[in-house]
Amino acid sequence: MVMTFTFLDDVALADMAFDAAGDTPVELFRAATEALIESLADPSTVAQACYETVALQDDDLSALLFDWLGHLVYLKDARGMVFHHVTLALDRSSAYGIWHLRAEVVGAPVDQSTQDLRSDVKGVTKHLYALRQEGDRWKARVVLDV
Amino acid sequence: MEGQGGAGRVNLMQLNTDMTVNRITDQVWEIPVSEKPGMLVPARIYASESILTAMDRGVFDQVTNVACLPGIRRHALCMPDGHWGYGFPIGGVAAFDVEEGVISPGGVGYDVNCGMRLIRTDLTLEDVRPRLELLMTELFRRVPAGVGAKGFVHLGRKEFAEVMRRGATWCIANGYGWQEDLERMEQGGCLDGADPSHVSDHAIERGINQLGTLGSGNHYLEVQVVSDDRIFDRAAAAALGLYGRDQVVVMVHCGSRGFGHQVASDYLKVFEKAMRRYGISVPDQQLACAPFRSPEGRDYFAAMNCAANAAFANRQVITHRVREAFSAVFDTAAEALGMSLVYDVAHNVAKVEQYREGTLLVHRKGSTRAFGPGNPDLPACYRDIGQPVICGGSMETGSYLLVGTDRAMQETFGSTMHGSGRTMSRAQAKRGVRGDQLLKDMKSRGILVKAVSMSGLAEEAGFAYKNISEVVETVDRAGITKKVAELRPIGNIKG
Repeated sequence: MVMTFTFLDDVALADMAFDAAGDTPVELFRAATEALIESLADPSTVAQACYETVALQDDDLSALLFDWLGHLVYLKDARGMVFHHVTLALDRSSAYGIWHLRAEVVGAPVDQSTQDLRSDVKGVTKHLYALRQEGDRWKARVVLDV
Repeated sequence: MEGQGGAGRVNLMQLNTDMTVNRITDQVWEIPVSEKPGMLVPARIYASESILTAMDRGVFDQVTNVACLPGIRRHALCMPDGHWGYGFPIGGVAAFDVEEGVISPGGVGYDVNCGMRLIRTDLTLEDVRPRLELLMTELFRRVPAGVGAKGFVHLGRKEFAEVMRRGATWCIANGYGWQEDLERMEQGGCLDGADPSHVSDHAIERGINQLGTLGSGNHYLEVQVVSDDRIFDRAAAAALGLYGRDQVVVMVHCGSRGFGHQVASDYLKVFEKAMRRYGISVPDQQLACAPFRSPEGRDYFAAMNCAANAAFANRQVITHRVREAFSAVFDTAAEALGMSLVYDVAHNVAKVEQYREGTLLVHRKGSTRAFGPGNPDLPACYRDIGQPVICGGSMETGSYLLVGTDRAMQETFGSTMHGSGRTMSRAQAKRGVRGDQLLKDMKSRGILVKAVSMSGLAEEAGFAYKNISEVVETVDRAGITKKVAELRPIGNIKG
């Protein structure tokens, strides 16, 4: 299996929702990241013009994913950018059990003339938000406020 | 249905809930406290029978969840445009005792002070139609919309703090509007108690470049027409500056953008932890709350007021740009075009107000304040008719201007509907129509649309919304607002 994401039709009437999954936590994070950046703009229409590095940590994987997705939304507004791709690594320190996320975010300033822009996601919500391991798959459900 | 025309119990099979719903009147329905453990007051839904029947399950679940929150008074309410929301339903109204009650970001909404604004003109459809394409292009150029759009007002952090403190009054002082605009805004376009020290850096960074931008989703700027045959109360319409005769007006729907969302998200986190400390449990984590008088509650209120003021300022800067666009296209000063503000009203906010129960914190989420005639909070020009209430419909149908009533003060904490309310998800809407097809269809019907995103446009198709006329008829018959005029779209800008 590979990482996947699926947009959900009828979970949030006025907004947008997706399920993401992967064989490992990092694959799940990558799937959820792709779903979010696809929500904002078609990545194939976004140039690789600016770079942001992000480092986050939390002892709770679910809280870390929530904060990470929220951080991408923050970058969209604060830097005025949409995203081409994200290179993401995730590991857990053996001593303290803390999850560490490091990411390089690659994208370009918003340009309505060249980019296929989609929804201006305002944030990640806690509605139905869940991260869980089912058998050998890691899954999350995310509802975005648009 | 039992008890037609009088009190009775609705046949449970007809509704999207297993709860007992009792008819109070033909437009008012009540869910008693016995229907959910923890309910402190009954829940009341304003709806016609057909609207009630079509309401999603979330409305019933969520309005009864709200009825469980500490310090709630009288009823948890939902207006006829109600649908599922985060925590509170959209269309939700709840009032809490300021000493014993709570404040909840879920009762305000993520888009703090999302609201409506209406600007009149002396122009008619005959004047505008030949230049509509040019006008819409000019409006689209001057009012940025869509993902990541930045406004033309460049602010440093100190200036943005002033925007947070002063709202629309900052705009007027800096040349973005007319002095007379201020009296025609809820609370003069500036809520007291805003304290930027309680706003996070992330929120500031998200908001500092967004002044004068529309956003996306259901936000829009619309050029509309008021026809003679769609004025229902000529005296009130005249007081509001509307005379019919295909008069052109401009409606703006937007709020505090990413700034307000960040404020709400920040304090939901704070409140999740605070609830444990205060021994509060809620049936839905999106209802996270804190006592209004607690440090956390006070901090959120101060930050929420900052976001509300930024939203007033946002709509004011947009108004300035709208006036510029009209002035350029018609080669006439906006003053000479009669471009006065009719009113600006919030529909996502919590405010301290006085009612028979005493001093209450009224949460309105997707609900509009609707103060009745004579209320001292209304400007002198509107005190005889009641507060203007601006309700936006879908971009294909129309919108309404109404006025508040004494009955709203008695029954709904001076509150009413805010719009038509969705009935269909965004994905469903996109399956029903393509954005480019919708654009052509609307043009053939005389509505010119400028949109940043074609998929975003399809999501806002008229069939995804309730029939606003039925929603308006409900509040009119219930007596909590009276309709004044219907406004028909001829041009729309969407993100």
